[in-house]
Amino acid sequence: MNVTYESTKQETPAAVESESPTTPGAGAIMRTEDLNVFYGTFRAVEDVTIEFADREITALIGPSGCGKSTVLRSLNRMNDLIPGARVEGGVFFHGRSIYEPGVDPVEVRRRVGMVFQKPNPFPKSIYENVAWGARINGFRGSRSDLDDLVENALTQAALWDEVKDKLNESGYSLSGGQQQRLCIARALAPSPEVLLMDEPCSALDPIATLRIEELMLDLKEEYTIIIVTHNMQQAGRVSDRTAFFSVDVDDRGQRTGKLVEFDQTEKLFTSPSRKETEDYITGRFG
Amino acid sequence: MSETRSAFHQEIEDLERTLLGVADQAELMVRKAVAAFTEGRLDLAQQVIADDDEIDRTYLEVHNRWMNLMALQQPVASDLRQMSMLLHMNTTLERMGDQCVNISKMALATEGLPRVEVIRERLQEMSDLVRAMIRAGIESVVRRDADEARLLPAMDEPVDRLNRNMYQEVVSAGPDPKRLEWATKAMMVSRALERVGDQVVDIGEQLAFLLTGEMAEFDDVGFSDV
Repeated sequence: MNVTYESTKQETPAAVESESPTTPGAGAIMRTEDLNVFYGTFRAVEDVTIEFADREITALIGPSGCGKSTVLRSLNRMNDLIPGARVEGGVFFHGRSIYEPGVDPVEVRRRVGMVFQKPNPFPKSIYENVAWGARINGFRGSRSDLDDLVENALTQAALWDEVKDKLNESGYSLSGGQQQRLCIARALAPSPEVLLMDEPCSALDPIATLRIEELMLDLKEEYTIIIVTHNMQQAGRVSDRTAFFSVDVDDRGQRTGKLVEFDQTEKLFTSPSRKETEDYITGRFG
Repeated sequence: MSETRSAFHQEIEDLERTLLGVADQAELMVRKAVAAFTEGRLDLAQQVIADDDEIDRTYLEVHNRWMNLMALQQPVASDLRQMSMLLHMNTTLERMGDQCVNISKMALATEGLPRVEVIRERLQEMSDLVRAMIRAGIESVVRRDADEARLLPAMDEPVDRLNRNMYQEVVSAGPDPKRLEWATKAMMVSRALERVGDQVVDIGEQLAFLLTGEMAEFDDVGFSDV
């Protein structure tokens, strides 16, 4: 069953206008409220409340096991695909819970797309890789319309000029950086509003990484981007806001992720408010 | 959990220790330079000029090490603010050395001229105040004490006042052209000491930035009565 969300141009909720560091100044397109994610009985993240501003880039950083990827996957219900995964608390997209009954997770993932750590093109042509994204989301247009959509997505992903003469060649024929941009084009094809990126550059060389970062800065004109990265310099270069997650370890050695600090990226990297953030980003404790 | 960037942090601490050593040296240079001028000690003037060559060498060395750390380590948060303080300290201390050279050149230029006792006393007073400021500045940095740093403008206020009053002292020096020539040069010495006082306040402001994360000039308590 499909579900309709309210327009992105809705009135800014009162809560968004507060000066809280966890609150973006612009309108929030997504937010979590006391989000807890469990894998079986294991609580992976605890009570995460955060808002993601429309057409901004938000970076999620923190040590391994802090739950940042878990939070990211909860934003388009990718955790549903993991047996035993369960969510408590809320994830809201345009003010509506994406976990409430009647919400179609496929529609959620169309509106909130995802790019993964390793470039993962399908064993198909460059053209088909992009067209697939549109087709599985019910694209009904003509071949010419599909051609336009593929060109548009590849152009937005800054790949068109490099592949326009070899659209029928395999996606695997491209370099790693090009493959990742192909995956971004595939994610853009269904016209999402939010793009989730899970360490999208960790398998790429520095030049390919910088190209993806430039692309992200272009894409934020039209999309909201939420990126998980282990590279703090990358968070500094691309993001408007940064959320720092850390891990609590209980008496039994159980590790639970938590949101420690969320602020403007400049503020977080020059004068973080929390000592845990300071210690982590300066490498005093790791 | 353990320190993961110890080599980097040790290098920052080394840089800071080097600069605190330069600050010690600057304090000594102020004493020597003012004594050179007020007592006609040309040997001290020559020492200060040689000392400044050493400060200039250290300035270049610190600058290169600072650039390397920025390029290779990309400091953030309090590390970045500490680097900001060290960059300012390096520039400020190098300029303090230059001011001491200026004073020493006045000493060399006034060789054999009669000195004016009251002006000598005022310059000595300014020298004592400025050196106390440098020591307080060093202490506040070593102890990471923003409150002590915030006292620097109040310590600078009498320096500014003595500098503003120096013109009157010069006018009162009398009609003797030689005494007047010495007194005129004393005004330039006074101005150099006033600049050193301001430079110490700058270091205090950088320390406060390091400790609070907020960059702001300290209130200039002496400015209102200009």
